[in-house]
Amino acid sequence: MSLRRSMFLHLLRRGLLGRGNRPLIAFIALTVAATMITAMLSLYYGLESKLNRDFRAYGANVTVAAPEGNVLPADALENAQHVLPSGSLVVPFAFAIAHASDGSAVVVAGTDFSKLQSLDKWWLVSKWATKDNESIVGVKAEPHISFANGGFDLNFSGRTFHLIEATTVKTGAEEENRIYVSLPAFERWTGVQPSLLEISVPGAREQVNSAIQKLQTAFPAMQVRPVRQLLEAQGAVITRMRSVMLASTLLITLTVALCVFSTLTSSVLERRRDFAVMKAIGSSQGTVNGIFAGEALVIALVAAFAGYLVGSGLAAWISEANFHAAVSPRIGVLPLVIACSVALAVLAALLPLAQLQRIEPAGILKGE
Amino acid sequence: MILGVAVATAMIAVGVDVGDKINRELRSYGANIVVYPEDAALDVRVGDQHIKPASGGAHLKESDLPRIKGIFWGHNILAFAPFLETTTEFEGHTVLVIGTYFDKQLHFGNEAFRTGVRKLYPWWKVEGGVWPDDEGGGVLIGSRLAKELHRGWEQGNLTPLGRVSGFLTTGGAEDMALVVPLAVVQKLANEPNAVDKIYVSALTKPEDAFARRDPSRMDAADHDRWYCSPYANSIAFQLQETFPGSRAEQIRQAAQNEGAVLSHISGMMLLIALASLIAAALAVSAAMATTILERRREVGLMKSLGATATTIASLFVTEASLLAIVAGLVGFALGSVIAQRIGHAIFHSGVEITPALLPIVIFLALLVTIGGSAAAIRRALRLDPVVVLRGDA
Repeated sequence: MSLRRSMFLHLLRRGLLGRGNRPLIAFIALTVAATMITAMLSLYYGLESKLNRDFRAYGANVTVAAPEGNVLPADALENAQHVLPSGSLVVPFAFAIAHASDGSAVVVAGTDFSKLQSLDKWWLVSKWATKDNESIVGVKAEPHISFANGGFDLNFSGRTFHLIEATTVKTGAEEENRIYVSLPAFERWTGVQPSLLEISVPGAREQVNSAIQKLQTAFPAMQVRPVRQLLEAQGAVITRMRSVMLASTLLITLTVALCVFSTLTSSVLERRRDFAVMKAIGSSQGTVNGIFAGEALVIALVAAFAGYLVGSGLAAWISEANFHAAVSPRIGVLPLVIACSVALAVLAALLPLAQLQRIEPAGILKGE
Repeated sequence: MILGVAVATAMIAVGVDVGDKINRELRSYGANIVVYPEDAALDVRVGDQHIKPASGGAHLKESDLPRIKGIFWGHNILAFAPFLETTTEFEGHTVLVIGTYFDKQLHFGNEAFRTGVRKLYPWWKVEGGVWPDDEGGGVLIGSRLAKELHRGWEQGNLTPLGRVSGFLTTGGAEDMALVVPLAVVQKLANEPNAVDKIYVSALTKPEDAFARRDPSRMDAADHDRWYCSPYANSIAFQLQETFPGSRAEQIRQAAQNEGAVLSHISGMMLLIALASLIAAALAVSAAMATTILERRREVGLMKSLGATATTIASLFVTEASLLAIVAGLVGFALGSVIAQRIGHAIFHSGVEITPALLPIVIFLALLVTIGGSAAAIRRALRLDPVVVLRGDA
């Protein structure tokens, strides 16, 4: 190792470790900057999936319906599940018009309760039906049925089915007019096959659209339709939130960067005597720049890693506190964070040096 | 420092307001409250199949509609549309005819406003034509119905209900129906002034435990508080009072889920504002620390001239406070401008800045500045004046 090189390293080490807690201030400032950049970027990337998840709670975003008077093919459910991305929820519905004991017509729907329960979480029920002869009765349909023997009778083309009411359901929409029973029992009773699939596809608009295309190829004779109001609202909110997050990320990053920049600059200016002495004993501008920039680089690298860790933690905490699901740390953010903090630190070191260069070392040493 | 305050102000202002803005975006989902006659008949309908008209006898009165704007939370009602349905023979098929408002001018007192499905359901799309005129008439043919009839309908063709205005795609039952102005269906069904259902889109507050309580079992004070909060339930309650013999319900799919989205978004923005505040505090305190360390010679001189630690500390604290107040004021102004800019750029409407934010911002600026410089001041006070003045420290 050449003398020159070992001297450089010696000065670098002295600059970092031999100056009390001066480098600590620079380190803390840079760590704060790196933390905020990491946290904001992680949240920016994580937000969309979290919001998409929120919108899934609305229920189905695609429906597959048989043309009027027809039913779906027998293997439709497996087929749909096969072409859809994993995590999709497919709920079959079969409909028949039955007569209650007072003679009024009521729509009876056969469905899979366990799947419906995870699709339509907003249904106001006291408990979900589980047994074959249990039913969920819409609040508007309830006055039309009369109870006897702990249940009520429904009549479909001469065949009577004795059902037990597990709960009533309140939704504020047409579900309140219906009576829901489990699909196997419904098929045994009426012989009617499912005519509608309500599907919830995870993800953003693009995933939903590609799912619709796949379903259309799989069921050419059926009507595959997006639930447009849901996709519309989801798209509007997510586009807006993306812009809000981008604006806040830029604003916060810029402010923190400026604050850090001024702190670093003044800490370099404070060391103008070191600079003057180095110049006076004959080091070139390049070497001095190298020493100061080297110091800044080391501090920035350590701060970037520390900031990445703290920032990922902060983002995870914010999202955990808010969405009850943490955003996972993104390794893709790290290069950006390193680049930002290194650029910030090196720039903050070199700009004041360029200023000092115009002054004679003697002048600085005299204290002018 | 000023920038820090400005950004913190902007973040808080945007964070507080973002909920309201997103609430409006969410309302593009459509109605969240429905009003219908109390003794409406059971709706027997599966998909496009419709066994009989939704209601036998009971109707709401169209003439009561403008009073929706007169309820306590009238300003939170963004849009509403009445619906009346019947069936008619059309081209040899029995088809559903839906009457509604498209973009109707209504008056309540001196206030004029426009409402209808175009505002309520922004996803309804008219192709090959224009929206019908509420007064002048016009027929929208559902896009699937038009396909099934196999007749090359075009805009301007005459039907028994009026001229064809265009073709409607909604993704719902309307695609298999004729959609016309309300007055046309009232005439067709011979039900003047009648309305089956009213769908209302209102800005609401996310539901909490208090909102779910039964208003009839509350004491007077609680009832007032419940009545005067814009919960979906209380707005529905007020609508029910407006229409005699009606029931009003929240549409749970819309009302329940938008609450979750809203509270998540505003919660996150506030947490981000908080985090940016803490970051600004740290950055400011680092800046304060360097400036005070730079002035250690001053401290040494003052000490050697006999100043006590209290005098010096109070000098620095006063300076910091003045700085904080000035920075707070300028930062608040700047932050308001930034928040406005963000609001206009993203939501095409300004962000409301409450003056109540100003004292909070200045207090926070004071806290951050004094707190941030405390450590540096303590260190400066510990310095030995002799060493400092000699220039060795």
